[in-house]
Amino acid sequence: MKRLEEIVARIEENKMDIDQIGDSLKEARDLIKFCKDKLYKTDEEIKKILETED
Amino acid sequence: MEAITLLELNGRVKSTLQFEMPDAYWVQAEISSISPSSQGHCYMELVQKDPSGRTFLAKAKANIWRGTWLKIKPYFEAETGETLKVGMKVLLQVTVTFHEVYGYSLVVQDIDPTYTMGDMARRRKEILEQLEKDGVIGLNHELGIPALPNRIAVISSATAAGWGDFRDQLANNIYGFRFYVKLFPALMQGDDVERSVIAALDAVASQRENYDIVIIIRGGGAVSELSCFDSYNLAYNIANFPLPVVTGIGHERDDTVADIVAHTKVKTPTAAAEFIISRVFDSASALEELTRRISDAVTGRMNAENVRIERLSQKLPSLFAVLKARQEQVLENVWIRSVNGVRNLLTSQTHRLEIMDRTIAAADPAVILKRGYSLTRLNGRVVKGVKDLKKGDRLTTCLADGSVESEII
Repeated sequence: MKRLEEIVARIEENKMDIDQIGDSLKEARDLIKFCKDKLYKTDEEIKKILETED
Repeated sequence: MEAITLLELNGRVKSTLQFEMPDAYWVQAEISSISPSSQGHCYMELVQKDPSGRTFLAKAKANIWRGTWLKIKPYFEAETGETLKVGMKVLLQVTVTFHEVYGYSLVVQDIDPTYTMGDMARRRKEILEQLEKDGVIGLNHELGIPALPNRIAVISSATAAGWGDFRDQLANNIYGFRFYVKLFPALMQGDDVERSVIAALDAVASQRENYDIVIIIRGGGAVSELSCFDSYNLAYNIANFPLPVVTGIGHERDDTVADIVAHTKVKTPTAAAEFIISRVFDSASALEELTRRISDAVTGRMNAENVRIERLSQKLPSLFAVLKARQEQVLENVWIRSVNGVRNLLTSQTHRLEIMDRTIAAADPAVILKRGYSLTRLNGRVVKGVKDLKKGDRLTTCLADGSVESEII
């Protein structure tokens, strides 16, 4: 989220040239997907850890 | 010496007591044992300890007969939220009795719950002061709740209704957020709460990297019995816990010490679930907001670039026209200079030709002959001097209007 905020701030401040925006946009998209997966998708890894801890 | 029987002696003690102490007394004491009987009475033992708490200064049996117990018990519980139990300080109205077989005992007539509440409040205050002095009281508050607290360690009783409520509330959240909930079972009522909850906290602490947050919840129950959460040891463990602790132990009266040192205190297990959901919702909203801002910023930037390109392309024709005019001027100049150059060249060449023409014309033999000169040839060759001639040569002399033959004599 923090990295995402940085990217947004930099785009909003017009500190990037057009070519950089393309790369940042891609990074931002990946970050957003990562965050959304954490929110809405079941992480089997975590499930497994919690289930095996008895 | 006259002897009396034991029964007679005890009978005298009994009547003396009845005669001398017929009134009811309000007595402050601590309960050292309590056991409700199957007949509906309640048998207690009351003590008074010295200030160190180790030595008994006084002790007495106290009985609450069924009729009184049926009134006192619910009244006390409604007022304090607690059941009468060992270690509790109580203010009881008692009458003094003596039974020939069972001896001295008190019969409880009434109870004043405010005394017990005052004592509990004083104890809570002392615990809080001690926690403050030990510098731990604010420690758990200082921990941040992570942006995504979805790995949740729950300390509760497996059979508690509150635990089910909590789980359902999380699982059925309307946003579709995912949560990972693990129960660390503990006793939530009775004398073992402190030890049991601390053991559960220790179990969570040993796997703390797997969790974001700890929730201590318990389901309702007729009596809240919260004084077990007014424990120094439990509060110390909660305050010092490396993860944020949320309590949802369900009550109406003042916060327990455990509530006060926990990061966040809510009233019910359902509210604890809502607290977590709303925290995740905030993060999800922040994510949406960031997504929107990126989209806006990039769209804005692209629009600005488009406007810039548009403006440039509008300028281009006029820029081009200027450029074209300039280039045309250059071409024109080159043309003019070329034309002039050619013209000058022609003029000078023409002039030269004229001169040459004139020169050539002036050199024409016919012209020279007309002026009176003549050209003499010998055998077709021009004679340029007398040394080329000898006697008898036949010369041909050309004049302007014809030629004449002659012989040298």
